[in-house]
Amino acid sequence: MKTVLKTKLPELFEKLANNYTVFVPAKIEGISRFAPYQNGLELALEENVLMPPKDIFFPQTEKMYKFKAKDQYLEIEDLPPEEGQQVIFGVRSCDLKSIDCLDQVFLTKGFVDAFYQDKRDRSILIGLSCVKPMENCFCSSMGVDPQKGVGADIQAYDLGDKVGFEAITEKGRELLGKIETLLVEEAASVPAVEKFVLTADIEGVPEKLKNMFDHPIWDDICRKCLNCSVCAFVCPTCHCFDIASEVRGEDGTKIRCWDTCMFDEYTRMAGGHQPRPGKKERVRNRFMHKLRYFPERYDMLLCTGCGRCVAKCPVNLDITAVIRKIKEAE
Amino acid sequence: MSDKVKKMQEIAREILEKGEAKVVIGWEKGTHWYLSPPAFIDKPEEVERLVWDDFCHNNLSKYLKDYVNHEGKVAIFVKGCDSRAFNRLLQDKQIERDKVILIGIPCHGLKDQDKAKELGENADIPKAKKCVECRYPNPLVYDYFIGEEKALDEVAAASEARDFSDVEAIETLSPDEKYEFWNKQYERCLRCYACRNVCPACSCRECIFDQTRVGWIGKANNASENQFFALTRAMHVAGLCIECGECERVCPMNIPIMLLNKKLIKDINLLFGPYDAGVDVDGKLPLGHFDKNDPEEFM
Repeated sequence: MKTVLKTKLPELFEKLANNYTVFVPAKIEGISRFAPYQNGLELALEENVLMPPKDIFFPQTEKMYKFKAKDQYLEIEDLPPEEGQQVIFGVRSCDLKSIDCLDQVFLTKGFVDAFYQDKRDRSILIGLSCVKPMENCFCSSMGVDPQKGVGADIQAYDLGDKVGFEAITEKGRELLGKIETLLVEEAASVPAVEKFVLTADIEGVPEKLKNMFDHPIWDDICRKCLNCSVCAFVCPTCHCFDIASEVRGEDGTKIRCWDTCMFDEYTRMAGGHQPRPGKKERVRNRFMHKLRYFPERYDMLLCTGCGRCVAKCPVNLDITAVIRKIKEAE
Repeated sequence: MSDKVKKMQEIAREILEKGEAKVVIGWEKGTHWYLSPPAFIDKPEEVERLVWDDFCHNNLSKYLKDYVNHEGKVAIFVKGCDSRAFNRLLQDKQIERDKVILIGIPCHGLKDQDKAKELGENADIPKAKKCVECRYPNPLVYDYFIGEEKALDEVAAASEARDFSDVEAIETLSPDEKYEFWNKQYERCLRCYACRNVCPACSCRECIFDQTRVGWIGKANNASENQFFALTRAMHVAGLCIECGECERVCPMNIPIMLLNKKLIKDINLLFGPYDAGVDVDGKLPLGHFDKNDPEEFM
């Protein structure tokens, strides 16, 4: 396996940064997230980052086009295209799986989202294996292999003081070629994954949920929820958005922004009717979407077990506990 | 099980068995040992879920708004800060006193969850930041009471030593430096509205930030919209904040929200005299009435 010392990673990023925008896990103002590599950036390689790589492909606020409107006249102006290849280093298996989920939504079933596709096509993904699951991780319960993700161009392995690389795709092989001088070929074995603190038994849950829309379980589960959107905004797979206009005089910009089924506005209709008026309807939708509707449509769960919502929910509305309650429900 | 927890469960069981309330809201153990999230108990046989420990952070009075149209009474456990939140809602006529059964529980000062996670179960875990400066550990209003009140001289000493040094440190900055400081904080704001939704002072039927058709705030997440959110939220709870610190605890982006709230408390104290929200239910709100002696340098 081709390896490099972790202490030499900045050198490697530096080299790649000559030709690519290199997103790396970093700690900025106390928050860990993917950020373009630059000299002096504090790397965050010990644990997965709080903010998933989702916003690299699907930003919280995305400008779509500009327009000018006057009387009967409307002019639409495309924004200048973004260019350049980007490398995203250190994507854990849960987050690689989440990109797979996003790909389903934005690229399949006859709907191709040009904004997403453009960013996706310009990206090379380098996965990173996990050795010690964090306290809220439960990816292995959701069918994700913490040592090897799906859809990576290169899979990197955490070898302790070193990182090993394995090219998966042609793009990946090409990229590894560019940093070959920094890598050493040596025999290396990937350390076994340590025990998970959190687990979930998802077996049969999507099927069971088909008959649970009116189950009293939701009356109980929803009660402590505050209907904020911490869970959705730190989630690597939540992908709902809302399109809005920013208008100043005759000029405007169309933007699309992250939205969430927790918010009142999300389902509020033009006439003012609110089909999901309360906590129960919204909480039910969140879990139904993740565990039933998405599997029905795309044959995969919309939860990858990254544990971010468990870690950040203000009232500890833990999805593994919800899964347990669904399993136990009569 | 501590005597307090036993007593808690006993009272909850009694209330449910006698049918005095249909639900008791307390705390229970969560996913990890350092989490004690809200619990809703409907049946006497479920009272064993209830706990009282170093991590019962959630301010339960917030949930009373969900029970405004509820038939019968609701029982909730209140720490000092929960009881001040209750008083605030009562003062605004958001809830009715006789529809709520309050079970007071004096608070010893809760512990920092992040530090607990980092240091482990057997370590000496420091107090949560929000609890270090607490001046009202004892419930101010209750129907049942558990344990012993914290000695009043201890509470008085904490009041004497009211510490605004963190606010003063920001006040000494130049306008440009202040702008830079706050912009940096709120640049990372996700506008998840957890701070608003957990806040017992945020009790508007429809929040200004949800009136999207009016367009007070744009949907975009950028420095300008985020600043508007930060300032408006802070001004809207000025004079109403009971300093439970929940906004800052739940912020996933670690924004020092209480620093803004404290600045407004400091200003109110200076302009209208010392005031603690949610302490005196019958008193007038400093920003809720006009007094001929109010300062009006701006006129």
